[in-house]
Amino acid sequence: MNSPPETPSQPVSDAELLMAHINGDAHAFSEIVRRHRDRMWAVALRTLGDPDEAADAVQDAFVSAYRKAGSFRGEAAVTTWLHRIVVNACLDRMRRKSVRPVADDELIEAAERDTPLPDQTGEREVSLEVSAALKLLPPDQRAALVLVDMMGYSVEDAAQVLDVPSGTVKSRCARGRAKLAPILAHLRNRSDLSRVSSAKGAELRDG
Amino acid sequence: MTGDTHYDLEVLAELAEGLLDADTARQVREHLAVCDPCGERLADLAAVREVLAAIPTPAMPMGVALRIDKALEAERAGVAVMSSPEPPARLGVVADDGTVVPARTRRRRTARRWAMPAAAAAAAAAVMGGVTLSTLNNSATVVAASPSASASAQSQAARAYDLTESDHNFSDGDLKEPLNEYLGPAKITQPVAETENQVSKCVDAVENRSKLKPFAVHQALYNGSEALIMASWRNEAAKQIRIDIVEPFHCKPLRKAAVGRW
Repeated sequence: MNSPPETPSQPVSDAELLMAHINGDAHAFSEIVRRHRDRMWAVALRTLGDPDEAADAVQDAFVSAYRKAGSFRGEAAVTTWLHRIVVNACLDRMRRKSVRPVADDELIEAAERDTPLPDQTGEREVSLEVSAALKLLPPDQRAALVLVDMMGYSVEDAAQVLDVPSGTVKSRCARGRAKLAPILAHLRNRSDLSRVSSAKGAELRDG
Repeated sequence: MTGDTHYDLEVLAELAEGLLDADTARQVREHLAVCDPCGERLADLAAVREVLAAIPTPAMPMGVALRIDKALEAERAGVAVMSSPEPPARLGVVADDGTVVPARTRRRRTARRWAMPAAAAAAAAAVMGGVTLSTLNNSATVVAASPSASASAQSQAARAYDLTESDHNFSDGDLKEPLNEYLGPAKITQPVAETENQVSKCVDAVENRSKLKPFAVHQALYNGSEALIMASWRNEAAKQIRIDIVEPFHCKPLRKAAVGRW
């Protein structure tokens, strides 16, 4: 059983670790997990909006990645591959719970019902509110928005993770944002956010 | 769009993503230049991005990290148990003219998902061949082509269904095809007790829901996740089946039951 070489100046790449794992190195996969678990957790938690579900999804995903490491072809980065497995685990969970598409008037109702006073919304409340709003979206749109808007990945990276064309990611994001806008618009007036949004609006308006 | 009509959020969001064709985009921009409500809505859309980006991303809680380490450790232990050089038993099919032809194998396994000692595997394959006989259509008879098919059959005695496995990733489209095209040629599974119990628990769960007895159970993937795909007769004469797909750990359905063909 050989452990990965401990050379801090030349860290072992994810791909090398995965190869070592496939070749029977008992510790290589743990290192991959250690490197990426926070990001995988963030993706799952944001996508599912529930810590218990997210824990199950990430665990299933890592176990599944452990098992099917041999099918990793190396045409995508290891991180992309891991993201894909995590996102798919999340999507499966959401579909299983039969998330029903929400009608527009329900969205508006939710917006009216849930709107707290802007200056009373702390960071935690905003986070909960966003989480609740995301749950109203169909899984595909939610996953796209989590990757692009929340995790800050490029549309191209998100497209690789979701295994769809870039244009599909863009349109899922667009439709998702359109649904969220009425619900989250009141947050626009928060002092730390309004500045950015109006600048962005102006930029878009002027082409 | 002209006059005092406004653009809806979706069109504005598509404009922001550059998804509109040049002409439409120009029209919408011209409208935005003179329409305050639409400009406001565009700002609302931009705010969505900002709000989402501003949500902090937390680190994985220690409890979850430990749980995952444990699960992977168990996985490692499982892999150690199941490594065995003995090749799995292959089935042959007796054709109408009495010759034995090898069963088709659709795809090569790349990884074993279920822990299973291969020695027991060969034995059970023989047994499973007998069981398959009763469920396949009568024109073909399945026999074990493995020489090591000697030992016996206690585990299967209680089991009323065929248990097979493959690496196939089933999608909804596949369910429209006759299911035995996938399951018929698949590799017979010889599960260790733990797997056997788990599968049988899920079969019971499905039977409870459907009030039908699954006659074929297949370990594979469904939309990328591990799944047990079960077939029960709705109408055996018409080869009409009910297909239940559940995840193998808690037996929760991965999709609504489907009506399929055998």
